[in-house]
Amino acid sequence: MKPTRDSERPMMDRRQFVKVSALAGGGLLVGTYVRLGELGAAEPSAAAAADFTPNAFISISSSGAVSIIAPNSEMGQGVKTSLPMIVAEELDVAWEQVTITQGDLNPAFGRQMSVGSQSTPSNFLPLRRAGATARAMLIQAAAETWSVSASECSTEGGVVLHRPSNRRATYGELATKAASLTPPADAPLKDPKDFKLLGTRVPGVDNPKIVTGAPLFGIDVQLPGMLYATYTKCPVFGGKVVSANLDAVKAQPGVRDAFVLDGIDGLPSGVAIVADSTWNAFSATKALQVKWDEGAVVSQNSVEMARHAEQLAMATPAPALPNGAKVVKAVYHYPFLAHATLEPQNCTAVFKNGVMEMWAPSQIPAVGQGLVSRGIGLEPKNVVVHITRLGGGFGRRGSNEFSIEVAAIAKKLEGTPVKLVWPREYDFAHDNYRSNGWHHFTAGLDSAGRIVSLHDAFVKMQGGPGDMNATGFPFIAVPGSSVNSSKLPGGIPTGYWRAPGDNGNVWATQCFVDELAQAAGREPVAFTLDLLSDASAQNGFDARRMTQVLTLATEKAGWGQQRPRGEGQGFAITRSMGAYVAVVADVVVSRDGDLAIKKITAAVDAGTIINLSAAEAQVQGAILDGLSAAWFQKITIERGAAAQTNFRDYRMLRMNDSPRLMEVHFVKSVAPPTGLGEPALPAAAPAVCNAVFAATGKRIRTLPIVTESLKWS
Amino acid sequence: MSKYTLNVNGRSHSVDVTSDTPMLWVLRDALGLVGTKYGCGIGSCGACTIHLDGKPARACQTPVSAVGGKSVVTIEGLDPAGEHALQKAWCELDVPQCGYCQAGQIMTAAALLKSNPRPNDEEIDRAMRGNLCRCASYFRIRTGIKRAAEIASGRTPVGGGWK
Repeated sequence: MKPTRDSERPMMDRRQFVKVSALAGGGLLVGTYVRLGELGAAEPSAAAAADFTPNAFISISSSGAVSIIAPNSEMGQGVKTSLPMIVAEELDVAWEQVTITQGDLNPAFGRQMSVGSQSTPSNFLPLRRAGATARAMLIQAAAETWSVSASECSTEGGVVLHRPSNRRATYGELATKAASLTPPADAPLKDPKDFKLLGTRVPGVDNPKIVTGAPLFGIDVQLPGMLYATYTKCPVFGGKVVSANLDAVKAQPGVRDAFVLDGIDGLPSGVAIVADSTWNAFSATKALQVKWDEGAVVSQNSVEMARHAEQLAMATPAPALPNGAKVVKAVYHYPFLAHATLEPQNCTAVFKNGVMEMWAPSQIPAVGQGLVSRGIGLEPKNVVVHITRLGGGFGRRGSNEFSIEVAAIAKKLEGTPVKLVWPREYDFAHDNYRSNGWHHFTAGLDSAGRIVSLHDAFVKMQGGPGDMNATGFPFIAVPGSSVNSSKLPGGIPTGYWRAPGDNGNVWATQCFVDELAQAAGREPVAFTLDLLSDASAQNGFDARRMTQVLTLATEKAGWGQQRPRGEGQGFAITRSMGAYVAVVADVVVSRDGDLAIKKITAAVDAGTIINLSAAEAQVQGAILDGLSAAWFQKITIERGAAAQTNFRDYRMLRMNDSPRLMEVHFVKSVAPPTGLGEPALPAAAPAVCNAVFAATGKRIRTLPIVTESLKWS
Repeated sequence: MSKYTLNVNGRSHSVDVTSDTPMLWVLRDALGLVGTKYGCGIGSCGACTIHLDGKPARACQTPVSAVGGKSVVTIEGLDPAGEHALQKAWCELDVPQCGYCQAGQIMTAAALLKSNPRPNDEEIDRAMRGNLCRCASYFRIRTGIKRAAEIASGRTPVGGGWK
């Protein structure tokens, strides 16, 4: 075996050599061969002969060391731990025995995208097969060694056992023999009831590094001789550089170079500043004066958008309501949101010998590779991408513009590594925001309090995710319901923000359903349970699973107790990314209108739970993220630019805002796993807004909550 | 550029940087101690929290020229073996999500526990409100501080710890 690349890898524990080979694996794994040497191994080729590497994800050395590749980007959702757990379960090794390594971008690792809560569902079966195939080969190796039938052998904690003869061999002892065998096409998978590791609490594999401050994140990359860069774009979206005072910038302390980049495919025009430290690069931007061609978007602002949105909604009125129906109308509005990952956008690159080597905190590193390949004019194979840990993703790091920015700078500095860091203010100014949205609901109730008509005139920005149609709850419970979706002109970049679409639309619809229950004079949980019994199975909606989580959450939360004025409970439900979630919020609102969230109770059906600790953490975090956004956050557009610049004017949930009581209940299930990075977010805000109504009688129809007066007397 | 001699994590370091450089970037770029994180640059998120003579400080708001002979402790130097009670509690309870803010959280919490070994919820709120966690791992941070207080005092956890 000969390594094809032996690159500088300051982020990694160990060196990794990737070689394409003809060894067969299962499914996505075909044609790949990965060998992981031990840390600091002096002679990788010597150790290689004894290694057993049945597929891209697993390496077992004769010393007994087991290494598993984590293919997808880790951004807090837990996949660097949970995906290797799936392999380890089927391989049947003790978790303590395993070393986890983050995989580079490599087609051998399958779908390397941390988006849409899809890492777990899309990898579950392929990774089980990877583990099971290796286990079957180790059993076969033992059987041949002992001249017994493989069917008489079993495994346990990295050991193959032959109980009739009381023989045992460790995976390490069997590695060389197993490596000579042909992988079986259909190794048996475990019965889920026999899972030992899956469903337990396993702490994140990077925790020891996180708590001691070891380098992990993209922004932590350090390379010998590295320089530091910023890239300044026009604050007005789509604006271009006309001219810049580059000579004055070059005279600033520590500045090594400054230049305009323009005309590169996929790269917005801007000014690069390269310095000997991040601080000197940041400081030099204060001396930078650019004459911008601001372009057409400069005429856009949030006030005008609201006026325009109303016109669009009014142009699509609700169909005529059945005779005698009680009409309920309401308008809900949510604003633009920034992602504001705590680690600002950044990327590191070095261009040498025709190869762009990159260290990217990216949710979809292949997108960055594509951007760089097209923009710089390199074959994709000559854009080598190492995946770092991400200091938060939330959808922000799917778009990868930092990759082409740093690559264009690195190309210019050929041979010198460069780390691009966006100042926080640039991160707010150049986000792909969650689109604003407006819902103009019109519903009809019959004399029995049933919804007989439901229409939504919906408006959002052109482009990006988050569109609305009548295929979700509650529309699927009302025959003849309709959604008319209109779009405001584009120009403000919008994109994927945790639980796209659902993050705003579930808030609006679940609050409106609560309004309808009130208008119908019904108890709101009973009203929703009735609606669920009428719901069709569109898009696989399972009203039984939805009912189950709602019942579970309301039971656990002690739903229905009488409460004094100023205290209230509210709930909301959602099926998001395939998972079923119900959230109950307990709030207190003072007479002065100060809101406190006392307790959150959630019930979740996400199918099979992989890592209980991470699953619970994602539900807790997603709920609080949803509350943080709904309570405080708003990006306003003025003169075609974002008005908010930092956490000073973009408030986020803090420790003192957080509920002290949070309960997460999972429905026990052997159904295929959904992801959990997003599903728990959408129901949080409507649960709280409905609780505020119960406490005060005040409906919150415009977000963020903090802009509404909640005073009561 | 000016030369400064700094006492960081019990060792003396010489750096040659512009005098307005915040300690954040001295630590990260000049000394390679990247555990102290950049989040906002305006003292608003707490990701860059360090200890100056034992007191929590925002490294992004502390120019190198103002440090003088003060003792600087970063997350890398909080405990020589990485076994501070908070570090143990954070691993035991699996507190981090993305993990980017956690060095700052731990440094702030370490200063809290030093002055108040058994903080209640209000005291935790007051001490920790300057540290933003974008993943909102606050529930486990709060639990982690209480668990660290138990570990530090040698008490067995109520209810047997993590279930």
